[in-house]
Amino acid sequence: MNPPPDPLDSLLDRWSETPDPSPRLSANVWQRIAVGESESARSPGLWAALQGWFARPAFAVGFVIGCALVGLFMAELRVSHVQRERSAQLARSYLLLIDPLLNAPTGDRRS
Amino acid sequence: MKRLLLTLVLGLTAGIGSHLAYYRYNEPARTDTLEGQLAWMKTELKLSDSQFARIKELHLASHPRLQAMAAQVAQMQTEFTEFEQTRRATDRVDFLEFARFVETRRNLNRECLDSTRQLVLASAEVMTPDQRQQYIRLVATAEPLVGSLLN
Repeated sequence: MNPPPDPLDSLLDRWSETPDPSPRLSANVWQRIAVGESESARSPGLWAALQGWFARPAFAVGFVIGCALVGLFMAELRVSHVQRERSAQLARSYLLLIDPLLNAPTGDRRS
Repeated sequence: MKRLLLTLVLGLTAGIGSHLAYYRYNEPARTDTLEGQLAWMKTELKLSDSQFARIKELHLASHPRLQAMAAQVAQMQTEFTEFEQTRRATDRVDFLEFARFVETRRNLNRECLDSTRQLVLASAEVMTPDQRQQYIRLVATAEPLVGSLLN
């Protein structure tokens, strides 16, 4: 008793006649592998590295201390800038205080 | 992810907090009073306590007179503006009145310069040569004073 013909048999018979591979097959495969590797190295890598660094307690503490120091440095720059401005302003008001003619328009001082 | 954000927020808070605290603690005081200006002079010229006391005394003594003169200068300026407005409106000049005005203004200017020069010279006498040089450099920016001090 013969089994009923399987529709896959004809397809499998056709598949056995495999064509010759393209001469660029190997080059194309390697190119795809290279592209895949570079993409995977690029996108999630930086973010993952950042998360990895911040996951270390020592780095996180150092980062917070660094931010505080930058804040102090900027404040010191601001204080010295304001001090210079305030000093110039005090010099001007002192001159106005000791020289009443400074309140007069320029042309009036020499007459 | 949460940890990264938390650390970033903490860093930002620490930076802003330290900045504000340091600035508020060290912010230079704002003052326009005579006392404030003299205190600034003491720091700027590195005056000793005795020098500062003498200079303060000199300034306090001449302050009312200088203030009165400043008021007179301002008043004369107003009078001059009114005089000029009348001249433009009527196209007439009262030469006698104008001559009186010019004479009064000249006398006032001379008095102002004398008073200022006396105060500057008396203050400079209390100072050491280095302090004096720095002080003269400071007051030399007052243009009419320069000529009178150098003569």
